[in-house]
Amino acid sequence: MNFRFVVNPEVCTGCRTCELACAFAHPHDGKPGKSRIYPIDGGFKELWVPVTCLQCDDAACVKSCLVDALKRNPVTGAIELNREMCVMCMACVAACPFGCALLDPGQDAVVKCDLCGGDPVCAHFCPTKALSYVPIEKKDRIAG
Amino acid sequence: MIKFTINGKLVQADQGDMLLTVIRREGIDVPSQCHHQAVEPSGACRLCMVEITRQEWDGWSKFVTSCLYPVEDGLMVTTHSAKVIQLRKTIIDLYLARHPNSTEIMRLASEYGVTRTTYETVADGDDCIMCGLCTRICAHMGFSAISTVGRGHDKEIAPPLKEAPTDCTGCLSCANNCPTNFIEFTRDSNSLTIWGRTFETLACSQCGKTTITRDFAEHLSKTRDIPIAYFEVCDDCHRKETAKTMGRVVNWTREVQA
Repeated sequence: MNFRFVVNPEVCTGCRTCELACAFAHPHDGKPGKSRIYPIDGGFKELWVPVTCLQCDDAACVKSCLVDALKRNPVTGAIELNREMCVMCMACVAACPFGCALLDPGQDAVVKCDLCGGDPVCAHFCPTKALSYVPIEKKDRIAG
Repeated sequence: MIKFTINGKLVQADQGDMLLTVIRREGIDVPSQCHHQAVEPSGACRLCMVEITRQEWDGWSKFVTSCLYPVEDGLMVTTHSAKVIQLRKTIIDLYLARHPNSTEIMRLASEYGVTRTTYETVADGDDCIMCGLCTRICAHMGFSAISTVGRGHDKEIAPPLKEAPTDCTGCLSCANNCPTNFIEFTRDSNSLTIWGRTFETLACSQCGKTTITRDFAEHLSKTRDIPIAYFEVCDDCHRKETAKTMGRVVNWTREVQA
């Protein structure tokens, strides 16, 4: 875990480029898939918050999965869903307190942010750098 | 690392991997109805049969269910030889006789060019192919609310004593993974009925959208140490709440800086 995904809502303009980038980065049947990131109105003037998976340490989705389909990737630090092991019980979708495990009705599957395997596409496309993927300073680095 | 060939191509796999896993990983389409990565393989549907041979077998070969066969060094696997295709056609032929109305079996039959069954069709044949995937998933999730009951022609999937199951939590994993979509459930605005038992579904306290059943949420809350409050709001409202909370923090820092 040498990098971390940083969301800075202060500079988000709510342009939804990240949503598009995510949908195109996770296509299904040649069409854009379901986005894993949503800029949502923060409740104040000119304030948008890009809501996406926070990759919690003690994640409710991982705890709720009765078949261990959700596991943390030790390299990227992202919690990844093994779709072949998922039994579609919807426990993670219901359990996530941030609402970031999503049901994609188009492909009848649960989807969640996997940090694009270590190179989040949304961060590349964010015009104001409200989303960024930055190296962790050595002193901040969490063991493991 | 174990090295063997699939259709002449040299592949590598870890010790203990099953043949079907490696075959699928290589992108080869071998049909299977009863296989799911989450549970132990059982080899019930027999559709994933492949032909295996070895150098020292002098041309002899045998058929195995690839989902149950661990990889071995020097194995030569053929997934679509004439003999295997004929074997699969026979199995599909039998399925077609027993489950004439199943769309999944019909799809499989058309894929393999089986136009009609050579056996006598079972008149009142249902769509359950007795693969036992639902019971294995239910057991793996820790409920074991359903199992196979009876034997021979009367064998079926049912809860104990064919009564409303007390161990079931209405998670719908059985119905969602049934290869032939045989397991039925009904859902209305605030309840869900499966295996003859009606469950109360949780509704989002803010928008009213129904999520999982109350029994399933309570089970997860109790066994997995997740606050029950997490289940009382739907994912859409959770995201809005997250945005509002983070918005307040950002607005506060703005005010401090101004």
